[in-house]
Amino acid sequence: MREYCGNPGRSSHALAAAAAEKIYECREAAAQFFGSDAPERVIFTMNTTMSLNLAIKGLLKTGDHVLISDLEHNAVLRPIAKLAAQGLIEYDVFPTLVHRRDHSKEEVLRATRALIRPNTRMLIAAHASNICSSVLPLEALGRLCAEHGILFVVDAAQSAGHLPIHVERMQIDALCVPGHKGLLGPQGSGLLLLSKNLTADTLMEGGSGVYSLEKSMPGEPPERYEAGTLPTPAIAGLCEGIRCVERIGLATISQKETSLNRYLQQRLQSIRGVRVYVPHLVGSVLLFNLYGIPADALGDALNKRGICVRSGYHCTALGHKTLGTPEGGAVRVSPGFWNQKSDMDALAAAVSEIARTGI
Amino acid sequence: MQQAKECMAVIGSVTQAMRAQRVLNGAAILCDVIKADSAKGSRGCVYALSYDCVQNANVRRILERAGIRPRDFYETQKR
Repeated sequence: MREYCGNPGRSSHALAAAAAEKIYECREAAAQFFGSDAPERVIFTMNTTMSLNLAIKGLLKTGDHVLISDLEHNAVLRPIAKLAAQGLIEYDVFPTLVHRRDHSKEEVLRATRALIRPNTRMLIAAHASNICSSVLPLEALGRLCAEHGILFVVDAAQSAGHLPIHVERMQIDALCVPGHKGLLGPQGSGLLLLSKNLTADTLMEGGSGVYSLEKSMPGEPPERYEAGTLPTPAIAGLCEGIRCVERIGLATISQKETSLNRYLQQRLQSIRGVRVYVPHLVGSVLLFNLYGIPADALGDALNKRGICVRSGYHCTALGHKTLGTPEGGAVRVSPGFWNQKSDMDALAAAVSEIARTGI
Repeated sequence: MQQAKECMAVIGSVTQAMRAQRVLNGAAILCDVIKADSAKGSRGCVYALSYDCVQNANVRRILERAGIRPRDFYETQKR
């Protein structure tokens, strides 16, 4: 905040210019990170939810049909459900089949293709679920969408900074990304990467720093979608976060998280009464329950022992229904790159103790 | 004594201007992103690139090759 306190894109004095330069650096870093050659197509938002709302409400028209996966977060389900309730669109849910150990990519594609209609305009998919370690085949889905002229919107909230994403190769039309998770940026930072041939309706209108005599937002990205002052400190932090992830490497991050998850799963599954959901999927998210203890109570008991996990439904009604969790949801653990094996041991020991003695 | 002149390419938003600046810098043409005279942008505030007029033909050619279409070009007294 000491260095970038000017308002970018509003004046041309030294402080504003420095802030504008930092903002553009972040656009370049994000574009390169996600395989785009168009930094001006990197739009800053507050979070994935805002990016998804911008993509969904900006690109859909009355009468469109939409496909969403059965693991989608409420950031997808709620805006879609609202548009459907208003009679503006229709939608169907395509199966990811993650609950089946023997499911194949081809089965998922077949099931998805069967739901496509002449007016299917958009397919929205969570690259990685926020309640289990499922990963959808983005290249294959992108190909399917391209074949049918369907817009491909990807929720990368759980995968950005953990798994490789290439918007060109995967034919992604709108990539929705949080700055504050795998990209190691501050809360309040998010991204939408919009493909070159798309112009969306605006979610918000206001000052854009240019064409001030016009009553409408500019036609060109990114300013078209960025009304008001940008959160320069958050964006500067996001820029450094992206660089940090690049230095460490996605493969290194993914390998560490998967290794911790696998170890934790082994430890938890040896405790009587623990159920781990979809144990055949091992990545960076693990969901479990302890028989006889409601999920929220278990989460609270772990918090008292200095262990931070999230319990409940994780803003993912669809996902919990797909995985068949009981009333109250479940407990989610997300080992990160800076967690250690000792953290998994501490968690397993705490769950074991709770299983023996109660909460 | 003749006052030095500089040339301006009126681009649009600050992001578009910075993109154009990167393109020209890549071709070893130095330029600055500045807020253009608001009257030069018929729709209000707008950003431009300022550069040495000696490079005028090169600037036009390189920007066109990069798919960047400035809204206007003009000369002004050096600030």
